[in-house]
Amino acid sequence: MKPFHLILLVLAAVGIATVISMYGNTTQYVAFPDAQRIADENPGKAVHVVCKLNKAKPVVYDAQANANRLEFYGFDSLNNESKVVFTKPKPAQFEQLEKMVLIGTYNKDHFLATEILSKCPSKYEDAPGASTAAK
Amino acid sequence: MNQTQAPIVFNGEWLWLGNLGHAFVILAFVMSILSAVFYFQHEQTKNQSLQIWAKRFFQIHALAIVSVFVVLFSIIFFHRYEFHYAWRHSSNSLPVYYMISCFWEGQEGSFLLWLFWNALIGVILQRIAKSWESPVMVVIAFAQIALSSMLVGFQWGEFKLGSSPFDLLREQRPDFLNIPILGQLGVENYLQVFKDGNGLNALLQNYWMVIHPPTLFLGFATAIVPFAYSIAALWRNNERGWIPYALIWSLVCAGILGLGIIMGGFWAYESLSFGGYWAWDPVENASLMPWLIMASAAHMLIISKSTGRHLFTSHLLTQISFWLVLYATFLTRSGILGEASVHSFTDLGLSGQLLLFLLAFLAFALVVVLEGKKRKWALYGIILALLVPMSLAYMIKSPEAIDTFYQWLKGLGTCLFLVWLVYYIFALYNKTKANMTDERMDSREFWMFLGSMFLILSLVQVFAATSIPVFNKLFGYKTAVPSAADYNRVQLWLAMPIMLLMSFGYWFKFRETDLKTIKKPLIQLGLASIIITILLMFGFEIYELKFVIFLLLSITLVVANLVYGYQKKKFEWLRWGGNIAHVGFGVLLMGVLVSSVNKNVLSSTKDGIDLAPEVDQKGNQDTKGIKFNRENQLLYKNKPQELQQYTAIYLEDIKGVGVDSIDKYFKVAFVKKDKEGRTVDSFVLSPKTQNNPKMGLLAEPSTRHFLHKDIFTHVNYESSMDRKEPFSNFRVDTVGFFRPFITQTGKVVMSIDSINRSMDSSGLKVTLAIKAKRLGDSVWLRPEFLINEITGNFDMKPAESDRFGIMAAILNLQIIDTNPASQNIRFVIQTGEKTPVWDYIVIQVIEFPWINLVWAGTIIMVIGFTLAVINRIKKQKQLMA
Repeated sequence: MKPFHLILLVLAAVGIATVISMYGNTTQYVAFPDAQRIADENPGKAVHVVCKLNKAKPVVYDAQANANRLEFYGFDSLNNESKVVFTKPKPAQFEQLEKMVLIGTYNKDHFLATEILSKCPSKYEDAPGASTAAK
Repeated sequence: MNQTQAPIVFNGEWLWLGNLGHAFVILAFVMSILSAVFYFQHEQTKNQSLQIWAKRFFQIHALAIVSVFVVLFSIIFFHRYEFHYAWRHSSNSLPVYYMISCFWEGQEGSFLLWLFWNALIGVILQRIAKSWESPVMVVIAFAQIALSSMLVGFQWGEFKLGSSPFDLLREQRPDFLNIPILGQLGVENYLQVFKDGNGLNALLQNYWMVIHPPTLFLGFATAIVPFAYSIAALWRNNERGWIPYALIWSLVCAGILGLGIIMGGFWAYESLSFGGYWAWDPVENASLMPWLIMASAAHMLIISKSTGRHLFTSHLLTQISFWLVLYATFLTRSGILGEASVHSFTDLGLSGQLLLFLLAFLAFALVVVLEGKKRKWALYGIILALLVPMSLAYMIKSPEAIDTFYQWLKGLGTCLFLVWLVYYIFALYNKTKANMTDERMDSREFWMFLGSMFLILSLVQVFAATSIPVFNKLFGYKTAVPSAADYNRVQLWLAMPIMLLMSFGYWFKFRETDLKTIKKPLIQLGLASIIITILLMFGFEIYELKFVIFLLLSITLVVANLVYGYQKKKFEWLRWGGNIAHVGFGVLLMGVLVSSVNKNVLSSTKDGIDLAPEVDQKGNQDTKGIKFNRENQLLYKNKPQELQQYTAIYLEDIKGVGVDSIDKYFKVAFVKKDKEGRTVDSFVLSPKTQNNPKMGLLAEPSTRHFLHKDIFTHVNYESSMDRKEPFSNFRVDTVGFFRPFITQTGKVVMSIDSINRSMDSSGLKVTLAIKAKRLGDSVWLRPEFLINEITGNFDMKPAESDRFGIMAAILNLQIIDTNPASQNIRFVIQTGEKTPVWDYIVIQVIEFPWINLVWAGTIIMVIGFTLAVINRIKKQKQLMA
């Protein structure tokens, strides 16, 4: 029975190691100042920032100058403002986005997002009956 | 609220149809309870008449489910928008073949689909399960109770049981009765306003979306059968006869589920614009998890069947696979994923009920595993553990207190749940441990077991990563969801031992093997695979060591199984099932490797206007311009643009068919030339955008399929999305035919070429054809002028050209000679100017080499599963005969 149990043990160890290393690699949702600090300590580590578009400042996308550069200003969940540069074309109806998650890293004076996760605002999207949900 | 008034009678509602459907739901719910109770009693007492009644009740239940299906479909088919479900998920313009897709856009419809498959499986089991019918059907009927309760839609004050698909629009959305126009029409005539529905999600209006969800749901539904057999066997005090049946059904489940998962991937690849077929999205993972463990359970069942070993693991894995199906349902349907997934699911407020469903099954399993007094105590304990918090929650009235209570409940519940789980596994182990003699390393079961465990490891990683939103909710963490790269990094290495074991596992015999006999073929196989790999790695252009090893293992997997199959089974195809499934898996993984490692973004821009210096993620100056997702190219209309070996030309954009169409197709020609300048290859792709009022711009890719690669392209941006610059430099001229006139700055010269008069019900319409010339280029402008015969009012429709930056409008007509045949008319024309804009699109073009291997591998694998199932059924029949 011994070699068999040994193998089970090794497999369990591999499993635990996998999970721990994966959790070690995950990032937290952070605010812009934290993102800046993380970028200083650990350049290139991607972080997630929950962001709201600052509608008072211009959203700059000039496809003819650079099709892969979108610039805008956003607030994080603690209302810190930062300039954001996104390396893809401007998503459709971008100005109407309520909330988005930026994935990327802080770079000097701006947050450089390589990915923006968003759910489009939809006036019809609702959760019927959610208010009367069973608790 | 005006409750004193008499109740309003609403006109034109087909209330009877909804009531009929609701009645069928309740009938199905009641019948499933009766059937479960009668089957249960028959198993306990062996009274034959009980089983006959149980059978009938279940058949009525199945008929009721079909009727609910028909009623819900009629509501959608006849556009009865007084029902919320029809209004929410369908519209008048929806073609009949997509109406079926409405079932899976809404949760109630998805549950209904699941109920339908389960009912079908139940009816099949009634015919074929023989002596196992009663205990197995108890589990199925129990699931039907839980699932149909999701549709019952009863409400007692705060407490809500299920959500009916036949709820009325005016009840779900009372705000709709307050819209101003109903003040004139009268509230009772609200249906005259709600003549069209909200429509089906545009992404679901796709051929693959008609067949992918039912396949996936059938896969989910079949997972209950091995589980039911496992429970039945435990109930009958650990009888062994369940194994062959559970094995057959687990193969059925793994085959269908695998097909369903890849179908979803194919849909994503063909109609979504993320550029791939798998993104490790939680919703995808939710369906992958049961598959991984079902595949592993099937292998454990084979071991148990052949050697009598590992009965405990067989039971455990079969059961976990079903629990993971429930967990997947909970993940995707409870809204807990929220922002973690791009698939949006609304919370129907059923998460409590779903959780209860999951716990009920665990409780059922625990009760069955225990014996005698312990069984009774477990039953009482579970009922107590469920009732106490529920009644407490009911009694506490103040909102703060209930919040604290839920915080406590969450912590305590999690602990209790874990204790329960550990105790259950312990009890299961005690009941089913058998034949624990030493496992020989030269036996097939040893290596099969090891392979199954690696599948479990793969599952553990997916589970841990996918459950992060759940942990966040439970413990208040703020961990972000891992990226696809995090998954790939781990899964790449876990797939390797799995492939290795799948290759040589077959060469060992059950119990023990004479190693001398397999040494030679294994060495030969290894050498052959290495040679093939060396040849193929240059063809596939795979040079990085870890990928070469991966490729080698996938090739070994294919070769080893083909050779083994041929040596042992020759042309008895029915016996080839396992080998063919393995070959398919190998081809699939090979395709995944080659298509993703050598995925080539043709539209990445190394040079040109697109280089803003940035630092890349490692802090280096990014000079290549690829690292940073510079993956999109701008194409001006009619201006050739080099995309690596191709030259792309954006030819034109075409509006979709129909006046109201919001679709736009962009024709882009791709030409590939050899060194002598001869065209080797040319084709036109038409990626589509849909300016969807509800969802924004949806880009549907267009893909050119070759045998050895795909060219995939989609539009990310187009010039009409730019903010329009207003016209200025206005100027007014009064001119006749053929007399050139210029714009304010003189950059464009225009002349009126011809006139077209037409009459319609509102009056006379005059359209001019004006030719505008600029730097040797010219364009036609066709402004319109409308004269309303009745009111005598004028109206005008200017014409503009973005490319020339000009507009022209007819302000008035001066008719000098009333004879229409004469051309003696003058027109007062206003012109305006702005900066010329060339039409352009921003596109991404990706080359996926050998992606067809992914689809081919899947098909081969499904064929393998099918053969294995047929062969196992045949063998079982021979055994019983």
